[in-house]
Amino acid sequence: MNDCQNAKIRDQLPDLLHDRLGADERAAVLAHVESCADCREELELLRAARAMLQAQAPRVDVNWVVNALPAATQRAVTVQRRRPVWADWRIAAAVTLLVAGGGSFAVLRQRQAPLATSSAAVNTAQVGVPAHADSVAVVKSPTVAPTPSERTVPSRENVVVSEAGLGSGRLGDLTERQLAKLLEEMDQLQATPITDPEPVSLRVGGDDGSTGLEGA
Amino acid sequence: MSHAAHDAAGGAGRESDDQVDAELIARWKAGDDRAATALVERHAAALARFAVASGERSEVDELVQDTFVRAFNSLGGFRGESSFRTWLFTIERRLLLDRRRAEKRRRDRHEVQEGDAATEYDALDSVVADETQRRLRAAVERLSPTQREVFSLRVAEGLSYKEIAEAVGTTEGAARVHYHNAMRAVKEFLDE
Repeated sequence: MNDCQNAKIRDQLPDLLHDRLGADERAAVLAHVESCADCREELELLRAARAMLQAQAPRVDVNWVVNALPAATQRAVTVQRRRPVWADWRIAAAVTLLVAGGGSFAVLRQRQAPLATSSAAVNTAQVGVPAHADSVAVVKSPTVAPTPSERTVPSRENVVVSEAGLGSGRLGDLTERQLAKLLEEMDQLQATPITDPEPVSLRVGGDDGSTGLEGA
Repeated sequence: MSHAAHDAAGGAGRESDDQVDAELIARWKAGDDRAATALVERHAAALARFAVASGERSEVDELVQDTFVRAFNSLGGFRGESSFRTWLFTIERRLLLDRRRAEKRRRDRHEVQEGDAATEYDALDSVVADETQRRLRAAVERLSPTQREVFSLRVAEGLSYKEIAEAVGTTEGAARVHYHNAMRAVKEFLDE
């Protein structure tokens, strides 16, 4: 049994056998095989070998195999059950971050307030009209009406400034609008906290008198 | 035409097969157990053929079952970079090697020698009447293990050299060389 010298055609004979050639290639290979006794002989050998290899394999019981497989339905149910648990943790983490972050921000503001004499927030509080209703809350005592002099120098306890409207850290002190904004912000929070802290540079005794902690 | 182009041109049927597999896998992941049955029906026979061609004579059905169980347990990690069938062959071959190593450790015996293989074929001769098939069987059995694997995947399954290389963990060029060496050896045996 001789080998045809056309290696490319010989390489394609198994593909011809399995009908895996494009139309043009198939026509070219068939044309060669018709004129080449060696390739015809090799193609017959391939047919016989395929039949032998297919015949010697035992029949596999498909149902027996399938019964050992993991059930697809169990996988689907498992995935559905996991989602609420994960969502609960996300909400819990978001609330914790908000309360802790809000408390820290309020403390920071209290320390900065004496130095920030030209704060826009204080000016807004002096006239009693918030520049941004969402970000400034004026809390009045229910029993003592403020006099004009009291209004011009508001105490820090009376003015709560927070980007999130949560400067005091007490949910009970918030208005309905602030609560609504808080909930909206909670919806936008990412579940995973940032692991790396923002870089900061500490500047002590700056020329403008600020103590600022600034982002780098 | 280059070999790569040849593989690409010959891949039209495979793309269709791959697409059917991908759809069945997606259905199974969505909770359709019947998709698993369809996948097993499509590939079980090929896995059994490959097992036997690789020299496995006993518990072929268990090997096929183990292959599917392992495949379905890690189907979430299947990215479709190779065809599903090629991926199954890879898993089965790994299981086969593990099984042989365990067997070798347990019995500390030699690999199956040519004489042993001939004895097994003698037992099969009563059902294989065709003389050509009997001689072909003997010729294939005398190939090296890698040649046998490559020859089987190329001739019985019609895999491309690229797919064969993925399945048996070699290069495309090496797969081609193994195939042609195997074909030459088979011819020489039949000519004796």
